[in-house]
Amino acid sequence: MAVSRRNFLQLSAWVGVGAGVAWSGLRVPITHAQGVGSPERHVLNRLTWGPNPDDYARIQELGIEGYIDWQLDAENIPDEAIDQFIGGRRILTMTYDEIGEIAVSQYAQVLYTMLWARIYRAAYSERQLYELMVEFWTDHFNIPIGDLLSEKIVDDREVIRKHALGYFRDLLYASARSAAMLYYLDNATSSAEHPNENYAREIMELHTLGVDGGYTEDDVTEVARAFTGWTVESGFVDGFHFNRDQHDSEPKRVLGYDLPAGRGIEDGLDVINILAHHPSTARFVSYKLCRRFVSDRPAESLIESTTQVFIDTDGNIREVMRHILKSAEFMAAEGQKFRRPLDFVVAIMRTFKPHLQFGNLEPVLTMLEPLGQLPFFWHPPNGYPDAAGAWINTNGLLHRWNTALTMALAGDGYVDGASFNVAAVVPMPNTVGELVDLATERVIGGGIAPEDRDQLIAFVSRNADPNEVITDDLYYTKLPTLLGLLMASPYFQWR
Amino acid sequence: MSLSRRNFLSSLGIVGISSAVFPSWMPKLVFSPQGQQAARGDRDVLVAIFQRGGMDGLNAVVPYGEGANYYDKRPTIAIPEPDGSDSAAIDLDGFFGLHPALRPLKDLYDVGTLGIIHAAGSPHPSRSHFDAMEYMERGTPGDKTTSTGWITRHLNSAAWQNESPFRAVGMGALVPSSLQGNMSTLALRSIADFHLAGRRDQLAGIQRTLSGLYAVQSGGDDLLLAKAAGVFNTMDMLQDLAAMGYTPANGAQYPDSEFGLGLRQIAQLIKADVGLEVACVDVGGWDTHEYQGGTDGTFAYLLDDFARGLAAFYTDMQDYMSNITVVSMSEFGRTATENASQGTDHGHGNCMFVMGGGVQGGMYARWKGLHAEALDMGDLDVTTDYRDVLTEILLKRIKNEAIDQIFPNYQATMLDIIHAR
Repeated sequence: MAVSRRNFLQLSAWVGVGAGVAWSGLRVPITHAQGVGSPERHVLNRLTWGPNPDDYARIQELGIEGYIDWQLDAENIPDEAIDQFIGGRRILTMTYDEIGEIAVSQYAQVLYTMLWARIYRAAYSERQLYELMVEFWTDHFNIPIGDLLSEKIVDDREVIRKHALGYFRDLLYASARSAAMLYYLDNATSSAEHPNENYAREIMELHTLGVDGGYTEDDVTEVARAFTGWTVESGFVDGFHFNRDQHDSEPKRVLGYDLPAGRGIEDGLDVINILAHHPSTARFVSYKLCRRFVSDRPAESLIESTTQVFIDTDGNIREVMRHILKSAEFMAAEGQKFRRPLDFVVAIMRTFKPHLQFGNLEPVLTMLEPLGQLPFFWHPPNGYPDAAGAWINTNGLLHRWNTALTMALAGDGYVDGASFNVAAVVPMPNTVGELVDLATERVIGGGIAPEDRDQLIAFVSRNADPNEVITDDLYYTKLPTLLGLLMASPYFQWR
Repeated sequence: MSLSRRNFLSSLGIVGISSAVFPSWMPKLVFSPQGQQAARGDRDVLVAIFQRGGMDGLNAVVPYGEGANYYDKRPTIAIPEPDGSDSAAIDLDGFFGLHPALRPLKDLYDVGTLGIIHAAGSPHPSRSHFDAMEYMERGTPGDKTTSTGWITRHLNSAAWQNESPFRAVGMGALVPSSLQGNMSTLALRSIADFHLAGRRDQLAGIQRTLSGLYAVQSGGDDLLLAKAAGVFNTMDMLQDLAAMGYTPANGAQYPDSEFGLGLRQIAQLIKADVGLEVACVDVGGWDTHEYQGGTDGTFAYLLDDFARGLAAFYTDMQDYMSNITVVSMSEFGRTATENASQGTDHGHGNCMFVMGGGVQGGMYARWKGLHAEALDMGDLDVTTDYRDVLTEILLKRIKNEAIDQIFPNYQATMLDIIHAR
């Protein structure tokens, strides 16, 4: 039930989030991170939410291919910190009916738990690639929380997380029967007498075929009829119920396939199979994965080969990803993806893990909110934008810089709820030049332009002297802001 | 969200930087002479107010003329019929009356600069705050796929363009949905706070180093670097503005609230002639499910802030008012009947306020009444689509005729609330 909640506007600061601006046709930026990173760094930048020294050690040990395979085999990566986190938050493992009332009476607390879980997992899970896949599918099958909190908890767990590296068909089916999706795109009230086309259109346009995927307005109408009766009812598993009384059992024709008269839930199941196995779907999903994981403009060759793998493996997402991540196009795309706000904030958390710590979510939300990417708060069904042009704007940049510069001071007590041991991140060296190099290495993996190194040296040393000897005073007053400047620099904005 | 950043930032002070080369769009920072047209004289500046939470329009602008149809539904919260006192409605036209907390608006009404449209709103039946707000701000009720806001589509479709970073400003931390999808939108919590964070003694060095890292002086054709240059220029301008201070004209006194502060800064930006075309400001707290009060109480307090803010803006901007239109909206009205908690729940029709030099003041309502058959699911029906009001403003005052792009698939019926420039 779309709970009509009183007082939720006390959270009014969160209403209307989704401040990112849509791609408006500007050219793709040409410049990206100029750092001359290693292939290992590139792989870690793309397979994690931001590399830290442990990740480097791991990829050295396993090699690039081995690291990719290890991350793809996510289920077999032990994840103790996350098990512990989730274990302590029962709401996340409850059934739909169990969550129901709690999500109404304790809306703010439950929402907080949900957001914290999202961010905590991104930052601290060992299954980093898996968490990136979760993010991808969360956008692909976007549902804003709004007043669908209990439904969204179940959707996140039973749809997105369960199938993030599974088979696309299973993911699509799980989404189609998700209470959150049924409410959000109005299928829950779609009946033979009053069919609602909202879900029918989006499942083809956004979830499977793509807007140019070859469906017609008649297909939209027919698919809507096929899904009539797919609704939500308490007492059923995850709230899904097929209500035969509301189903249109007349014959239908979808994308050239005949669905005979007199059937029930089989109509919708057939549509899911037709869509999941349609070549347009293979291409559309492959394209989107390449765009997210390779570049804003992925090479046609890569889209084509990925599409073929999708078709050959019956939509096995894990194998599709293996193909993309081991492709030459992927390895050549260093620094071509702009960090979205959530990437950016989580990258800060991971870069300094475990020396930067958050006792609670509030400072993280305070960073994310003005950046425009609170998890689960994008309203249209297309998900937060992927390409760089959507995120590079005046507000976003200033907030990024200030987020970096403020978080760097967490060790000085400037950020409630966070602590930061900078001395553990960059132990005190002898000279200014060494300090800048060590900090650069830690934050962006080294390899910055000489003139940019000079800028940073000039910030630390009054005489712009790389050989100036570091004093305690210089070290403790300048190092935090130096780290902040590196996080605010163009280098750290790209991955 | 209790991060101490606010205090932290305000403790920092502002370090002025010597101005870099100003781009060509940037006007000089001088205040226009009194009475001079702030926007370039061809069109009004639009100020869009969003009352978040669903304002109770039936107690803001009271249809006391309904008699029992109104009073029986609201036994504890109804506003009494006008009797000239401060604890009764203030008569407007013999049928509608203002809540007494809206007293400051009565003067504006009397001088003919305030129009009130009742039974207005979004035609979509949603009683969900989220859905209703998104529908209203995106300008396409019922369509969840619209990715741009109505104001964005207005700016993008306008025959003129304007490179100023202040073309569209949302007062607050976030860009409102009505401005979604516009790269030039600025979300501005406060003019004084738009600057870099950091230790006070390092701010100059931070600014110098960052602008170096973003190669601001050398320009470059990269999108990120170009935007970075824009941030530095915007910071320069706002720091100069903040340093100049601001004294509202004509003794105007803005309420000391987020809303008051927002309007005050909009006034400042208009007078500074920085290219502002549209400003959005929110006023929240209208979700009055419990104990909303009658002539006093929570709801009266909200109205007081709202009315004093509008009146102060009018007083401050008197000499500019011929070039300004202010319009308010809320995602829905509230139930005609009060609930068991002496509040009201999510309803449908509401009232909108329009203020400006071009407004033909008065009450406008296609009024069907409050008897059972006239109501929509127990709520005031919407007889004027809010897009009718906005379309009229856009056509007559803003001079954008691309209504088919701003409100696609909608045919507006204008009420003649405003005369054309």
